[in-house]
Amino acid sequence: MTEVIAKNIQKVLIANRGEIAVRVLRGCRDLGLGTVSVYSDADRQSLHVRYADEAVNIGAPAPRDSYLRMDKIIEAAKKTGVDAIHPGYGFLAENADFAGMCEDEGIIFIGPSAHAISVMGDKESARRAVKEYGVPLIPGTDAGMRDDDLIAAAREIGFPVMVKAVAGGGGKGMRPVYDEAAFPEALRLARSEAESAFGNGDVYIEKLIVGGRHIEFQILGDHYGNIVHLGERECSIQRRNQKLVEEAPSPSPHMTQELRQEMGEMAIAAARAVNYVNAGTIECMVDHNGDYYFLEMNTRLQVEHPVTEMVTGIDLVKEQIRIARGRHMTPTESILEPQGWAIECRINAEDPYNNFIPSTGKIISTITPKGPGVRVDSGVFSGAEITPYYDSMIAKLISYGENRQQAIVRMRRALSEFVIMGVRHNIPFHINLFNSVSFHAGRYDTRFVEERFSMRTYEAEPTEEELETIAIAATLHAHHARQKAAQVIAPPERDTSNWKWVGRYERIHR
Amino acid sequence: MKYTTIVNNEQFEVEILNDGKVTVNGKTYEVDFLTLEESLYSVIQDTRSYEVAIEEERGTYEIQLEGRLYEATVLDQRALLMAQRKGGLITSSGEVASPMPGLIVDVLVKVGDEVAQGDTVVILESMKMQNELKAPRDGVVQTVSVTTGQTVDKGNLLVNIIGDDE
Repeated sequence: MTEVIAKNIQKVLIANRGEIAVRVLRGCRDLGLGTVSVYSDADRQSLHVRYADEAVNIGAPAPRDSYLRMDKIIEAAKKTGVDAIHPGYGFLAENADFAGMCEDEGIIFIGPSAHAISVMGDKESARRAVKEYGVPLIPGTDAGMRDDDLIAAAREIGFPVMVKAVAGGGGKGMRPVYDEAAFPEALRLARSEAESAFGNGDVYIEKLIVGGRHIEFQILGDHYGNIVHLGERECSIQRRNQKLVEEAPSPSPHMTQELRQEMGEMAIAAARAVNYVNAGTIECMVDHNGDYYFLEMNTRLQVEHPVTEMVTGIDLVKEQIRIARGRHMTPTESILEPQGWAIECRINAEDPYNNFIPSTGKIISTITPKGPGVRVDSGVFSGAEITPYYDSMIAKLISYGENRQQAIVRMRRALSEFVIMGVRHNIPFHINLFNSVSFHAGRYDTRFVEERFSMRTYEAEPTEEELETIAIAATLHAHHARQKAAQVIAPPERDTSNWKWVGRYERIHR
Repeated sequence: MKYTTIVNNEQFEVEILNDGKVTVNGKTYEVDFLTLEESLYSVIQDTRSYEVAIEEERGTYEIQLEGRLYEATVLDQRALLMAQRKGGLITSSGEVASPMPGLIVDVLVKVGDEVAQGDTVVILESMKMQNELKAPRDGVVQTVSVTTGQTVDKGNLLVNIIGDDE
């Protein structure tokens, strides 16, 4: 281990936007550090600009013209004289070139080394690196094998298996096979499908994970070779590989203290494979037997980091900065007993009644839930413009309770308090999900939302009473709007001018 | 004032009386309707307290009550007469408009095609995602106003579907 020199960090540039930029800003402020935000033309009004000590415009709205422009961000860092850059998640967070560029410029990159980012950023090199450390990978074959060798390999792996096209993507050239008898035909079809779709009939096989749950471990490592895990997060509530709800700990019946310890040690070993420093996440698949497999490592702070913060009491952003400063991290041991239960709902500007289509527009009004056990990490406010340039996630609602039941009850209460007007959003989806029996029982896997959940299953038909209330509200709203309009255009029956009258009317009805 | 109000395809006769009372399908309620801010109201109906949010989009209201979304149209007597003349109060529009700015990745229908409600008609890319826009009703494609590769703004009409008998 090279000698570590304590580094001075007084001012941090946050190379991100939205809720995560606000979250990082808050961490910096809590530490008494100066803050610099960067923003695109579309984000001049954003909270991360208004909360920061200094703000620098870095260009046009499209990410490639602003938040992905390494040169402009480095230039902003030099201009404002920051000591360090926090990349948040997304954008440049897992870009090894950017981490290297910061290093070259003498700016601390608050994250892992460029080497760790690049090894873990490539699926093949990541698998190679962690394999040496005894980390279990989803069993599979190499590409370029002949049919009879593939059949032998499938027998060894054990059915069911998935036949995948080497050149595949988007679900094309993928075929599940449940027994050996069906294998030759499936192989033939997969090859011809791959041949016609990609011009390459080469396939490989991989074990098909049935009832798989996405469970990940939070890792922290410092410059002194210490690596600990902070327990797991359950992220199986997903749609099209986008996580929607995360919780800590995992409600999986397999998740015992023993499994947590075993998987945690595996996660630490995987991180050790690249001498990992700072916060990172080891993503795993856990099948219906409780067997687990390494999927990938995310070399950054995760969207869902708050649930870990709630059940461990550790402020991950502060730890990231502490580690970047060359100090020992606070936790000296892994966390095997999380305290209480935390759940996060991602609030997306997406319409759950209409195939989750993203929605853009101006937020005309919002009321954020508060009260015991509720945390909201958000970038939205009344007047905020939701543009098509960026991710549709606009806020994260996190609930905490002594146990899972209490966290669920608080989440349901908080969801019913949450008002966001002006764009369609997925709060109704969450309300329905939190009414579902399977979710309550913790019985779900990564296919649950797409295959076994519908907005209609749990949404009772509105009652006559509710419809009447809606009819009353709509009618009164329309009535007032029309009366107001009629008064403006009505002929002058009064001795004062209409304009004066409108002014008075508005003052009275303000 | 008398109105005919349609909520989620159900019809209500609503009369606003002068003394703060409202009748709905013959039942009378005392209603206190307070504006909290633009499009957000506090309603006390007899003693029950609600918060409702109302947004207007192309002549219809989108109303949120306790996390749930409703659709309503309010017709005064003149509008009611006109709607009845046009043939029926409750018909759903067959317009597929772009819900956001984006790029048309694929157009899956052409003029004259028969479609069922829920069929994907256009794929629009926006916010890093491909979104399937679906037919709002059964019918026949009357117009297709976009082609693959075209960029569109929010609210642009993409496809119009009319009933078999129209």
